[in-house]
Amino acid sequence: MDIFLQQLANGLTIGSMFALVALGYTMVYGVMRLINFAHGDMVAASAFVGLTIYTQVMGQATSLMAVIAIFLLAALSMAVVGIILERIAYRPLRGAPRLSAVVSALGASLVIQNGIMLIWGPRMRIFPELVPQVYWDFGGVVISLIQVIILVLSLVLMISLYLFVEKTRMGAAIRASSIDQDAARLMGINVNSIIALIFIIGSSLGAVGGLFIGLYYRGITFNMGWQYGLYAFIAAIIGGIGNIPGAMLGGMLLGLFNAFIAGYVSSTWADAFTFILLIVILIVRPTGILGERVAEKV
Amino acid sequence: MNRFIRTILVAVVVALLAVPALADTLKVGVQAPITGSYANEGQGIENGVRLLAEQINAKGGVMGKKIEVIACDDQGTAMAAAICAKDLVNKGVSMVIGSYTSTCAEAAQKTYFNAGVLQTSDGTADSLTEKGYWTFLRNSFPNSAEAEFVANYLVKVKKYKRIVVISDFSTYADGLANATQAAIKKLGGKVVSRDKIKADSQNFTPVLTNIKSKNPDAIFFAGYYSDGGQLRAQQKALGIKADFYGGDANDNPDFVKLAGSAAQGAFIINVPSPDVLPYDIAKTFIADYQKKYGEMPPSIWGLMNIDGMRAIIHAMEQNKSFDTKKAADYLHNMKKPLPGITGPITFAKDGNRNGGAYVVKRIKADGTYANEYVQ
Amino acid sequence: MKSMQRFGYPVFFVVMAGLPHLLNSRWQAVAITFLIFSVVALSQDIVLGKSGMFNMGQALFFGIGAYTTAILNAQFGWPLLATIPLAILIPAVFGVILAGPIVHLRGDYLLVTTIGFNIVFVQVVQNNLGGITGGPNGIFGLDSLSFFGVQLLSQVAVYYFAFAVLLLTLWIMHNLEGSKPGRALHYLREDQLAAESIGINTRIYKIFAFALSAGIAGLAGTVFATQYSAVSPEAFNFMQSVLFFSIVIVGGSSVPGVLIGVFVMFVLPEIFREFATWRFFIFGFAMIAAMILRPRGIWPATFGKIPRFLIKENNHGA
Repeated sequence: MDIFLQQLANGLTIGSMFALVALGYTMVYGVMRLINFAHGDMVAASAFVGLTIYTQVMGQATSLMAVIAIFLLAALSMAVVGIILERIAYRPLRGAPRLSAVVSALGASLVIQNGIMLIWGPRMRIFPELVPQVYWDFGGVVISLIQVIILVLSLVLMISLYLFVEKTRMGAAIRASSIDQDAARLMGINVNSIIALIFIIGSSLGAVGGLFIGLYYRGITFNMGWQYGLYAFIAAIIGGIGNIPGAMLGGMLLGLFNAFIAGYVSSTWADAFTFILLIVILIVRPTGILGERVAEKV
Repeated sequence: MNRFIRTILVAVVVALLAVPALADTLKVGVQAPITGSYANEGQGIENGVRLLAEQINAKGGVMGKKIEVIACDDQGTAMAAAICAKDLVNKGVSMVIGSYTSTCAEAAQKTYFNAGVLQTSDGTADSLTEKGYWTFLRNSFPNSAEAEFVANYLVKVKKYKRIVVISDFSTYADGLANATQAAIKKLGGKVVSRDKIKADSQNFTPVLTNIKSKNPDAIFFAGYYSDGGQLRAQQKALGIKADFYGGDANDNPDFVKLAGSAAQGAFIINVPSPDVLPYDIAKTFIADYQKKYGEMPPSIWGLMNIDGMRAIIHAMEQNKSFDTKKAADYLHNMKKPLPGITGPITFAKDGNRNGGAYVVKRIKADGTYANEYVQ
Repeated sequence: MKSMQRFGYPVFFVVMAGLPHLLNSRWQAVAITFLIFSVVALSQDIVLGKSGMFNMGQALFFGIGAYTTAILNAQFGWPLLATIPLAILIPAVFGVILAGPIVHLRGDYLLVTTIGFNIVFVQVVQNNLGGITGGPNGIFGLDSLSFFGVQLLSQVAVYYFAFAVLLLTLWIMHNLEGSKPGRALHYLREDQLAAESIGINTRIYKIFAFALSAGIAGLAGTVFATQYSAVSPEAFNFMQSVLFFSIVIVGGSSVPGVLIGVFVMFVLPEIFREFATWRFFIFGFAMIAAMILRPRGIWPATFGKIPRFLIKENNHGA
């Protein structure tokens, strides 16, 4: 039983990281019907930016304030990168064929990923141990401080996002734009600023996810964005792409699925099982768990 | 007419053979993971080879020929290694130094053998010398030697009762882990779990959680430092009390950085590290290396490769010939050892380096090593 | 376009036929790589460009072909050329099996599913399923090319093997364009509903496109295994699929466009070695710029020999 609970705790930790990153994918997809392939690489970039802020700006201080400052600064820089990305790579292609936008997104992904490599080098860099290694043992189930931080902070962020989207006027504008951009425009919604807003929110949430990866695993590489991005994107599809609570649910489920497959079946086959799950879901219920049927734009 | 064609053919063949001989440099290839997960080690090998080439050239080269170093990045992957091998052979090298990983050395082996190019690598997988290629010279010591040392230490010296052996899927790690498991069994020890992880996958908690339920008292990890450091950190985070032993490829400063404060108390098993090498030639070479690159060589593996290169050049000079087959014959039969950076160098007939002693090092709170046990 | 067909192709063929004799062995190797990747990119074009299905897993079929050749050669001792029929057939069968349940998925879902297939494939060969794929190291030390017992050790032989495969591919694609399936695929790309309403069985033709494309990519895999005498999982990972995908779209799904794309992606970096680390950074920008300036590709395809007035209105395809 304690093995089960331990895998559960591990799965939820990973799952909340997937969920944070998945939100960025799902929000962009919801409004623009575009897979933002560069999102995963922005997650990776955030970890590197955080590392640089720690060594250059903070002078390697490890106080709580320093950690908060790193989170805020990294999220801010990624929000700026997100807006620039949208302006340069996506906005000019809004009327273009679908595939052109996909290739532009792939190009943006290559630019960011290799930009990281050119700035920080191809080697694995090591993230500082900012959270002390503190553990609690609950009758065989060990939970670490960093796991608690990741879980709580992710939940807080996700709940605030949910409330923001459901309860505020700006949230309503986001929902309206994702249902029908043209109608939203007719109702006086500035769709351009909504898209910019989405990139700001999605990128900063991804930035937090990237810092979590750095804090939790410590080793960061320039090309790790693909792996996390792909998983997060799958999480978004499982939950129902375009659906914000769906991305959160999908992320958590995928984290758990992964942990249990790796724990009970085989860790070396975990990726394969994840994709088999995805393919099955797409065949059986292509709209995901919480998704509604969206008509293909012709 | 027939004779005429034959004469022309002979002339063409002679001309073709003469072209490389006319080249006025001795081309030395470096095949190493200059980028990728093991970039640290790969750059160490390239730096070392360039330094040695510079030193030899300053003294007038090898029998009057200057050394020209041609590096190829195999990224630590078999495919890139196979491509590198073709590329280096096409560029006309007569010897290749590297690669760091057994996988890459093995993927390139046949190409070098077919071309008669000498290859010297620190790869420790036993399979490297089992193919009977005269071109391959191992400058380190095979896995089987380490496996026996590890098994003896864990079972006989420390008397562990429940041992876990972990590796990734690479030639080196899988081979070392299997050999260790077999050696432990032979000594009457008990391996409670033999697990495999996927290199670079970062999240090892599912595997470790299963290991925890087996309640081990020792974990031996046969893979590389980039996974080992994270494995150690996650082992501590899950509250697994077992002692952690990392195989030779964990002997890298990044292991300690990755594991952070969890590194303390972990053990690394390896041949002695560069800074404690007692030989004069080691001290001067390491001093020169530090002067040129501003850092210590990342590990002993780069220096092993340098010794391989020195041995081949030594053989060519003794033979007064650049012929690679003759050089290999000389090395396979040498009686008087060549003093090396990493100890005296002689080779067995199958291309294995003779000798090999291991130490167990404990990682202290400040991240430095303390020798725990010396063979 | 007319002048391209009349003068461009003959010039290209003549140059390519004589090329290996002008190059040293290093550049021969680069030229062989160009030929192999051109074939894969052209095969990708059949599914992506010609039929409009978002396939981002072409390296999968390329890899299955290469692994088929490598396994048959290394484990069972077949001569390399004798593996060709199976190296075409097995990927094609996989194309049918895998495409069957998914061809009806809409664009982005199809894209993610094919990425998934690609990643599952890489994991299968990495985990050494059945003990024959060599695990993460792959399989190395394959034989060299031999023809009826005659060893062809020189790279020039591999070059002409690759060149012959490229010619074959071009010939197939040329014939496809005017054929019944080719026209059917074109209609269903332009307007699937209309195609269905005039009686085209879109599902069958879509699966056919996958199978054909997979078979050609598999043949390219044989050439790849021959050239490097090795295969390993990362040579067929999904990053490779992304490159082939981008080449087809940026090239505009035309033969010259795709060949230019392959040249830019795989040959230019060899010429400008010192920019090797900048390669993908620059390509990324180039991809964005190309799509903004020419959303239909740098050299957009025009549809074959069918007169323009037939393409939209006529119910020719059934």
